[in-house]
Amino acid sequence: MTETVLEKSGLSPDNPGNWLDDGYERLLAISWRDCEDVQLAILKRRFEELVPQVAALERLAKREGITGIERFEDALPLFFDHRVYKSYPLSLIETRDFPKLTGWLNRLTTHDLTKMDLSGLTMIDDWIDRLDAFGMFIGHSTGTTGKLSFIPRSQTELHAFRSCHNEASRASSGVNPWNDPIETFFPGYRYGHQMALKMVSTFNIPAAGGEEHYHTLYPGRISADLMSLAGRMQAAEDRGELERLGLDPALLKARKEMIAQGKRREQDIEAFFNTLFEEFRGRRVKIGGTFGDLIRTARSGIEKGIKPEFAPGSFIGTGGGMKGFKDPPPDWENYVKDFFGIDTVSMVYGMSEGCGFAPRCQHGFFHTMPHTVPFLFDSDMKLLPREGVQTGRYAFFDLQAETYWGGFISGDQVTIHWEEDCPCGWKGPRVGPVITRFAEMEGGDEKISCAGTAQAYNDFMDFVSQA
Amino acid sequence: MADTYRIPIISRGRIIEPGEDAAEFKGRGGATFLAPDPHKHIHDLVLGNPVLLGDLQNTPTRDIIDFLAEAGKRLHIDDNPYLQESFALALRAGGLAEPILRGVYDDLPHMFDPAAMAAQVENTIGIDYLDGWVPSPSGPHCRVRAVGTRQLHITAGNVPVVAALTIVRGALTKSDILIKSPSNDPLTANAIMRTLLELDANHPVCKHVAVAYWKGGDEFMDSQIVRTSRIDKITAWGGMSSVKHIQKFLTPGIDLTALNPKFSMSVIGKEALESEEAMEEAATGIAVISGFYNQTACANTRLVYVECDTDDDSLDKLAELGRKVVAAYKTLPEVMSTPFATPNQDLEAELEAVALEDDFYTVEGDTLNGGVVVSRFPDRVDFFDQLNNRVVNLVPVTDLLDIVKWCDDTTQTVGVYPEALRNRLLDPFALAGVQRLVPLKGGNPMQIFKEMHTLPPGMPHDGIEPLRRNVRWVIDHRPVEEAVPLSIAAE
Repeated sequence: MTETVLEKSGLSPDNPGNWLDDGYERLLAISWRDCEDVQLAILKRRFEELVPQVAALERLAKREGITGIERFEDALPLFFDHRVYKSYPLSLIETRDFPKLTGWLNRLTTHDLTKMDLSGLTMIDDWIDRLDAFGMFIGHSTGTTGKLSFIPRSQTELHAFRSCHNEASRASSGVNPWNDPIETFFPGYRYGHQMALKMVSTFNIPAAGGEEHYHTLYPGRISADLMSLAGRMQAAEDRGELERLGLDPALLKARKEMIAQGKRREQDIEAFFNTLFEEFRGRRVKIGGTFGDLIRTARSGIEKGIKPEFAPGSFIGTGGGMKGFKDPPPDWENYVKDFFGIDTVSMVYGMSEGCGFAPRCQHGFFHTMPHTVPFLFDSDMKLLPREGVQTGRYAFFDLQAETYWGGFISGDQVTIHWEEDCPCGWKGPRVGPVITRFAEMEGGDEKISCAGTAQAYNDFMDFVSQA
Repeated sequence: MADTYRIPIISRGRIIEPGEDAAEFKGRGGATFLAPDPHKHIHDLVLGNPVLLGDLQNTPTRDIIDFLAEAGKRLHIDDNPYLQESFALALRAGGLAEPILRGVYDDLPHMFDPAAMAAQVENTIGIDYLDGWVPSPSGPHCRVRAVGTRQLHITAGNVPVVAALTIVRGALTKSDILIKSPSNDPLTANAIMRTLLELDANHPVCKHVAVAYWKGGDEFMDSQIVRTSRIDKITAWGGMSSVKHIQKFLTPGIDLTALNPKFSMSVIGKEALESEEAMEEAATGIAVISGFYNQTACANTRLVYVECDTDDDSLDKLAELGRKVVAAYKTLPEVMSTPFATPNQDLEAELEAVALEDDFYTVEGDTLNGGVVVSRFPDRVDFFDQLNNRVVNLVPVTDLLDIVKWCDDTTQTVGVYPEALRNRLLDPFALAGVQRLVPLKGGNPMQIFKEMHTLPPGMPHDGIEPLRRNVRWVIDHRPVEEAVPLSIAAE
């Protein structure tokens, strides 16, 4: 079996985490239909290895009555969705019950977290630090709904994760993060366990050439503790009972500071970019930020008559969508490129729950690579055919997840072109160009009914959702 | 069954059919609506000059009640093609199962019962105040009258009751009402009005009702209508979704009553876990208050707080109560509650996710036949705001007063079992925002349901008194010597 498999795709089933060791070019030259055999072989192996070791997967497999995988379709009922990564009771975070939280996390990983020393822990960020020291590489979500999810990635996957991140970046920017350091500017937090941020700081600091070449708006870290408690803290504050929650006063102080910081954010970003424009004029730079950050900076810079100038080989690295930014200029990418005087915008498509990233080609499509097996579902959760052009809810199997289950159903609605006819020459099923959130209602947002809850106002989450 | 519905504008006694320049709207279940372009009919929708309400002001309330009562006799769905059309569309929109929907429509004529309407207006405003100027008992030189106002109603569409209630209340308060129909029920208000028009299109009540459909967020419509020169009072059902577009046009001079969506609950004392009979009785009560109208109503319980410890034995009993609730759903008459034909995918996914965490949750049932999530610690599930399809969350708490922190203005209805619990909770709950406590005892589903739904006429609604609020209370303040003592006037 192994020999046949090697012939078609040239990829070894033994360790997909090493497929990128020779660069992305090889992977984006293989047709996805030639990869199916090796992908399925790996998926089967993951199922067999992980069911006895990952309790959440075992329970789900038992409920679904699945004892073996013969085809991709067999595995689909076992894909996790975002809820699985936050199915712990919120009160565990509030009461800082690290033994129970760790017990919950333990059910999602093959690592034996029962061997961890949890003594003296009072903060979630410290708990994650300790998990990482134990061998994990935990990332949490932003928690716009006030509850954090925790992705059980570990050091085992770090090599693959770094390769995916760096190679996708190289593919979409032309700049080699492995050996070509570039002064990097990121208008956000420097550190933190939030997965997107953690990835950026873990991989981009070396890519910049070290700490002193990596410039961020805020020097500190984003706090999992603050994010996880935002909802409860606001409710308590509304009742004038914030002090009674029994939280660390340092936490309350940090929250106040973050809210104040949030109010100053626009000025602070402006100042950050002005420093960049003045002190690094004519130099080669990488600029990060959300679409909103870049557009706002361009707008205010144009108003002020600022004309940035950077050396060739500079690029802008962004992603994440418009995120509620109102009234973007019609051709915002060129608008931004024009202002910054930079002709390359690098983008990749991926999400915290997977290691893989799909680089964007010159024609605006995100090409998935063989270590990510993509699927699309319709609104009734039926699998859409893997042919032609299809639009639906995006799901994937991440072959590089070794110590946790790699099957995940996202909340994104995407279009996949399954025929490999992209003018850019790259193969692979390609996503795009538009990615939106999946919603299934037709003409229904005007429906008025009597039952429901109120949306609570939250100063803190207002701030966080901009980040 | 049509795919395209023609929805005329009802304008003060006239029916304006959609013509060639009709606007097209999309509804739920694939239906299309054709209606006259509301942009071209602003003056047909708003009254404009408030003095024109004089005809209704001068109509005795008794006449209005008689007219509505006569109309009520024609609102039996079997004899009324307009209601039949509205029923068919409501069924298609998929909100309620047929037996339940049928029961709701069968109740419509009761809202036009003359004795009930008279009591309703007498117990709130007082018919004398609507028909004339009433001297103040403590100063007869001051007389007060309740005067009708120009109103905009942004109605809810999940049940036809809202349309009927709006029309009745508008008429009883001698007010001019413009009803903006919701996309999930563009037909019921029309159906009721067409019935009234057939009875007497020239009656002053008919001269002061307009009904139209336009898309929420249509800034032109909102800016034309929401003006102090045209509207005095707005009643908006549905919370933020109905209010967010008109927010920027609100100004002092327009009184907004926001009937926001509600999230109701029940509280169960430890007695319910102490004997088999008590558990059965409590389970039946919970099933009724959670299951009626298939849990689509504001008063339906979604969270059940139970006085219970968190050791394994206690939690086993709590799970047993949960199982009995799910079993009790099966005993509810189908006019009250039915199984669902299709699952609620999002909620099923939430249930699946927590079912995997058996240290923290016990899950029974599903979104088709009803279900229960038992929290094994004193906190509600994080997806509590998605509880639906007769799925409730049972939460063990040591002291039921602790749940006051989870009560607020959205906690409309609280079911109570046993009655012995009530007095201790009443005042703190009332302070916390709760609007009504109801009994769950008895063990007989129809009886529990009927008692819960039979309120004396003129009770407050969602903590307010909408009838009193929607009139203008005017003082005729005369020189003291002109006072006409009440007793002399009566002779």
